[in-house]
Amino acid sequence: MVSRKQIKTYLQREPKFDDIMCSLRATGRQAKGIIGETKKVVAIARRFNEEFTSSYAYELDRKMHQDPDHLAWEVVKKANEWGFYTMFIPKMFGGKGYAIASLSPFLEEIGSVCASIANLIGVHYLGFVGLATSWNMRLMDMICREVVNGEKTGNPCLMSFAMTEPDAGTDSQNVEFMDTGSLACQAKKVEGGYVVNGTKIFISCGHLSTWHILFAYTDLQKASENMVMLAVKTGTKGFSFGKKEKKMGQKASVASELVFKDCFVPDDMVLLDRSQIAGLSRTPREVTEMILAAIWAASRVGVAAFGTGAARGAFEQALRFASSTEVDGKLLINHEWCQAMLAEMYKNVAVGRIAYNEGNYANGMDGAFKLLNLKPIYYLSKYTPVSVFDRIMKPLCGLSFTTWISRKIAFDFMGDAEVDRTDGWGSLAKFTATDMGIRNARMAMEIMGAAGVRHDERAEKILRDSKLYQIYEGTNQINRVNLFKRLVARACPGSRCFSEDNI
Amino acid sequence: MYASNDKELNLLDKSSLEFAKKELAPGREENDHFPFGPFFGHVVDKAFELDFFHIFLPEDLGGVGHGIRALCIVLNNICREDSSLGGIMFTNAFAQSLMLEAGATEVLKQISDKAGSAGEFLIACPVLSDPARSPMGLSADRNGENYKLSGKIDYVVLGGMAGHALLPAAIPGEDGYSWFLVDLSDPAVIKSDVVFSHGMHACPAVDIELKGVLADLVGSAGEGNLYFRKAASVMQVAAAAMAAGVMKGSLEEALDYCRQRRQGGRMIKDWSELQMLLSNMAVQTEVAQMLVSRACMAIADKEKDWETRAGAAALHIVSSAADVVSDGIQSMGGVGYMKDFGQEKRFRDTAHIQALLGFLPLKKLDFIRKLL
Repeated sequence: MVSRKQIKTYLQREPKFDDIMCSLRATGRQAKGIIGETKKVVAIARRFNEEFTSSYAYELDRKMHQDPDHLAWEVVKKANEWGFYTMFIPKMFGGKGYAIASLSPFLEEIGSVCASIANLIGVHYLGFVGLATSWNMRLMDMICREVVNGEKTGNPCLMSFAMTEPDAGTDSQNVEFMDTGSLACQAKKVEGGYVVNGTKIFISCGHLSTWHILFAYTDLQKASENMVMLAVKTGTKGFSFGKKEKKMGQKASVASELVFKDCFVPDDMVLLDRSQIAGLSRTPREVTEMILAAIWAASRVGVAAFGTGAARGAFEQALRFASSTEVDGKLLINHEWCQAMLAEMYKNVAVGRIAYNEGNYANGMDGAFKLLNLKPIYYLSKYTPVSVFDRIMKPLCGLSFTTWISRKIAFDFMGDAEVDRTDGWGSLAKFTATDMGIRNARMAMEIMGAAGVRHDERAEKILRDSKLYQIYEGTNQINRVNLFKRLVARACPGSRCFSEDNI
Repeated sequence: MYASNDKELNLLDKSSLEFAKKELAPGREENDHFPFGPFFGHVVDKAFELDFFHIFLPEDLGGVGHGIRALCIVLNNICREDSSLGGIMFTNAFAQSLMLEAGATEVLKQISDKAGSAGEFLIACPVLSDPARSPMGLSADRNGENYKLSGKIDYVVLGGMAGHALLPAAIPGEDGYSWFLVDLSDPAVIKSDVVFSHGMHACPAVDIELKGVLADLVGSAGEGNLYFRKAASVMQVAAAAMAAGVMKGSLEEALDYCRQRRQGGRMIKDWSELQMLLSNMAVQTEVAQMLVSRACMAIADKEKDWETRAGAAALHIVSSAADVVSDGIQSMGGVGYMKDFGQEKRFRDTAHIQALLGFLPLKKLDFIRKLL
């Protein structure tokens, strides 16, 4: 009926089979062990919610209203005690090595009860993703082992992701905006390192983090070709914390200002700069774009999990209320209109979850964590004792060759179709699931009426919290255009995205 | 909303907008910190001095007697900047309206004549509930000429600051429910701390427990639902005027921001995706303003089917407000989510406005059931 060649040709037509069937492609290719790991982390998250989050989330939120400057160290320490900050760090760096794909269901669980607490855990992995996409194996090994040590000693060691600037939110997220935008965080090359001047804002968990994955630029006029990634430790001379933002929700997850004034960062703390990518076949701008795409592909799936958690939390609160509240002489759950609304909310949760799972499948097969998901590597990692890993990997990570070959694979061997797929699905998952979050939160408020506006009834917090998901990691508006750019525009000759043609 | 050519209404329009800009906008964030910060009593006192709480009350009862149109104009302007004061005004006006429907004019006059401050003048009321829909928490036992109220009632708006409260209760043996006026200084009235709520932090509510508190029946026994429906059919437009004001404030702030902010080296107002978002906001906001004006006219002129028109307008506005205020934040990105601007408060306050006078889905069902 169709030849092998024809099959290949037809499946390459838009929409490309590989873009629309991520989960089907993953079936069989993905290690079965990931299913067991995912079950385990979901169970752990549920137990954590039962023992901690459920009872503390609303007390914490009220505390934050009273004292917006409170830093939720008590949550960070609790999460550290439970081992959450090393849970998804690969075993080769001393972590527990749970599959990165299982982070999303974990965050959905915690996020269904409290967005702030989910952020206080999840944002650390945004820092990790920033670190990982530099493929600087020596620094990845060093910083991750500090996180592991922080768990052992009871002194949490978190990573933050420092990109957004006061006048340049979106400008720092898209290569198309970097050169014409208002980026101002400058890294000047000096002997032995870089001197950084500038300010970063809205940095989640900045005040609570030990390491900050900082994005700066040696040439602000051509930032897309001159991005420098630096690892800056709290306490470094010239680096200080500024104000804490007063937010509508997600209050315990502090949004920090980071201030750099003549901050000297030595060469051995440079994660990536132009000199380190000189040998690659990709141009510096292409490398910048690939790094950003890899970050957003992973992090936006995480935000989608948060959004799904919010949608689920809202559904659960509305269901609880409807099951126990009498209206017009009968329980709300026995009103047909209410059943229909609750069914719609259930569907919204499912849609969010399907979206982030597809994003995860795309990342697992074609994204930054592709290597870790290859069955031989996955099982080798799973069953090799940490002590053996330490003996082999520690010296290996110190070799510049390891970093070089990792970058070669990540940048030169990765195809444009894979970048499009993973980044496109990151955007799709993000705006789909976070829209579901806000939609369900609003429906919960409608179902609950007067009770909905009360803080002690829990739904209102979800509405406040869920709004932020539509904004950070790129507004949902930006993400829609990014989806068009990655998965639609290539089939439309002459189309342009994020350019003057769109005005 | 539109004051048309009425000079008096135009004056009220200007003075209330000026009040909102000068007295409310500057202290919005600080005032919103209540109950963890001070209450904005001085602003409430000033509103009292300016007769904002007297607008709806007839002149012969000590009010200004401007009616629903004037009330909507003032609420619209106040809520552009801070809905908390709007919530206080609405609650008091609803209580007054319900008492007028019940013919309790003497009591209203007495309260008005005696009141020397906002607290003494204001009447608390559980305005987020439609009492007929939920099990009654209060019961009223006859005590000579009066009644004694016992039981619990949640979320009585202004319960912690007003002199009196208008509360629904069931009289054993009577069908339906009745309204009662309670002196909140009675020691048998036990008030909770201020209920911490989603928005309108400075329009405080408390849960109340009554232990045999003397109360005056308002209107006739068992007619509570009738009075509520009559008052609500007019006052739902006042709630819509609040929502329309919040939408207007959200649009204004979004436009101001977008005229200044740059992205990718260009003004963000030049990006067409954002223009589309702003356009949707502006259309909904203008429609809301027009609908409130038109609904007020229908009520004032007692047009045929005015209740249907007013109901449709109110439901449309409070439903669409949620999208507008959400987009108001979205248009400003991260800063829209922060307390440095008014958008996040408007987002929260809108959920309160939506809940005024009962569950939104049930209000929609009530609307269509009348037409079926």
